Amino acid sequence: MTKTRIEVDHVARIEGHGDIHLEIADGKVERCEFAVTEPARMFEGMVRGRYFEEVPYISSRVCGICSASHTVTDILAIERIFGVEVTPRTRAIRQLLIYGSFLQNHATHLFVFAAPDFLGHKSVFPLADASPQIFEGALALKGLGNELCNKVGGRSIHPITAVVGGFTNELSPAEYIELADKMDSMLDFALQAVDLFNDFSVSSFETEGDMLAMVNPGEYPIVGSDKAQFVRAGISFDCQNINDYIEEYALDHSAAFLAVMRENKRPYFASALARVNSSWDALTEPARFAAAKAGLRPPEYNPFANNVAQAVEIVDALIRCSSICRALAKDEFEGTSTPVEFQVRAGRGVGFTEAPRGALFHELEIDNEGRIVSANIITPTSQNIANIEADMRLLATLLVEEGKAPDDIQLEIEKLVRAYDPCLSCSVH
Amino acid sequence: MSETTNIPRVVVIGLASCFGCQINITNIESHLMEVLGQIDVRYWQLTSSDTMPDEFDVAVIEGAATTKEALETLASVRERAKVVITIGACAATAGIPGMAAPEWQDRINDVYGDNTPAIVSDIACKPQAVHDVIKVDYEVPCCPIDPYAFVHVLQKALYGSNEYSRTSTMCGECKRNERGCFYGRGILCMGMITKQGCGARCPNLGRPCNGCAGLSPDANLDAARVVVQHSGVPLKRFNDALAMFNQDDPRIAL
Repeated sequence: MTKTRIEVDHVARIEGHGDIHLEIADGKVERCEFAVTEPARMFEGMVRGRYFEEVPYISSRVCGICSASHTVTDILAIERIFGVEVTPRTRAIRQLLIYGSFLQNHATHLFVFAAPDFLGHKSVFPLADASPQIFEGALALKGLGNELCNKVGGRSIHPITAVVGGFTNELSPAEYIELADKMDSMLDFALQAVDLFNDFSVSSFETEGDMLAMVNPGEYPIVGSDKAQFVRAGISFDCQNINDYIEEYALDHSAAFLAVMRENKRPYFASALARVNSSWDALTEPARFAAAKAGLRPPEYNPFANNVAQAVEIVDALIRCSSICRALAKDEFEGTSTPVEFQVRAGRGVGFTEAPRGALFHELEIDNEGRIVSANIITPTSQNIANIEADMRLLATLLVEEGKAPDDIQLEIEKLVRAYDPCLSCSVH
Repeated sequence: MSETTNIPRVVVIGLASCFGCQINITNIESHLMEVLGQIDVRYWQLTSSDTMPDEFDVAVIEGAATTKEALETLASVRERAKVVITIGACAATAGIPGMAAPEWQDRINDVYGDNTPAIVSDIACKPQAVHDVIKVDYEVPCCPIDPYAFVHVLQKALYGSNEYSRTSTMCGECKRNERGCFYGRGILCMGMITKQGCGARCPNLGRPCNGCAGLSPDANLDAARVVVQHSGVPLKRFNDALAMFNQDDPRIAL
């Protein structure tokens, strides 16, 4: 009997702490776990009884990378409950804020976490000597994401200005134009990055899971639509009914909840790749062309393609942010971003955004004094863990069949996990 | 300092947190290399897979202690480090994770119900500030830290300083900015009792202070409560907000 055992204590270059346990005997996977060992901070418990105003501020602390997404998603849940209608201008600025975290996240994931695997390095730092142009471009891209969040939200992480009803501060037209110019100047490098990630060779296989993304006809939505879609099953649902479509469950080896589709218990992948698959036609033209040139066309179910999908989204985000900034500078969106008036009332509501790593849901119940009765946060990574485990099982079986050495299998499995861009502190929260 | 060279060996350790303070340090790319040039980073979980070395001079710690392993790590770090610096509110006061500390078991039940995974019940313990577990030499406050405040504290730790810690409240800094006061509009603000040093960053952007720097040694809570009540803000709101970043401070007890 041949037995392959792969044990990775603390997968490197992902956010948070997770271990891999994989045992394969005679080509059969006997154990396959992606164990999330990150300490839980009990966000859903700590916000109970707290006044609604504090809650987006608290929940942004779930994650230092996608804090803007957590803030906006919480605000949307509260606005849903209170019946707050914000202005088109506020909606545009929220989009800008979330795109800021897309740029931060995708640049960090692609260059700091993923690229070293393909270039044969242990970290990003050797890239400074090997390919200074790429290293500097990557830093500049990450820096621009920081600057966008910093300018719009008041801080590069944990935004200050985003509140229920609007924003407490706004940039001047000149500052918006300056940001737009910087977005334009990063575009060439972003297009090169798509080619770079296309050049990296990856295992050829398809996930058996589904994919989930926000949809809205004619748009590439990241905030502002309530509609979610399972790409493969073609099932769409309103985010307010999330519990009818998504089932969360606990396992002893994971501090994070896992999730499957309620209807068929199938795991799924929420991600940039899911968005590219579901809203392909609405990508900006240069982003869509770059994707097609890189061989990424829907339907694409190889999870490794998430790297190229993120690179494509950087191109798309730069173009959109530039155009939003210019429109804000010219006052083309109706209304101001000054927070609108509202009345506190009791109810339940779900906020939904596309965080950089995929669909993010915050479900809140508030009493008539404005205090939180219950909260549930469903992050992209916690939705993806079941699919990561299923893909690990599938890929490991393939590699064993191909007669690959255990070291090579381990590296390939780690690359797979990193392609999912998991954030374990988010997943546990 | 190291025996063989003058370059201090530094380790950066992340406990329960959002990783935001460490990320904020990487966000000063242009100055980062100048700072890193003065130190020898031997271990930084977030950026490298190198394992923790046995010998080092300075330990930089982010996050609250919420696991048994974290308590052991802290004890072993204190034994070896000449200087311990904490970054951020989670480490300084248990911060946001500390909000779950009172009635800790209930908070676990809120999240997991009857299905608490073994991995959580095996490792979790009640959130604590780092200085409640080991002696801390320097603290960089706020949630998240201002990376330049970190650089300032690191310089103090590396080269020494005769600078006194300022004890006044954020409210004074804010007044000098002449942007008006939230209390005049019946809005809760924690600036009256919160440590100064941030330059009133949030009020400058139209948002009241949430108290992330922690209570100032000069904080007069009784007087602050009188002001709160006079302004028509419910006292419960003030007392609840106090608990957000001061879990380990006995002064918040009612």
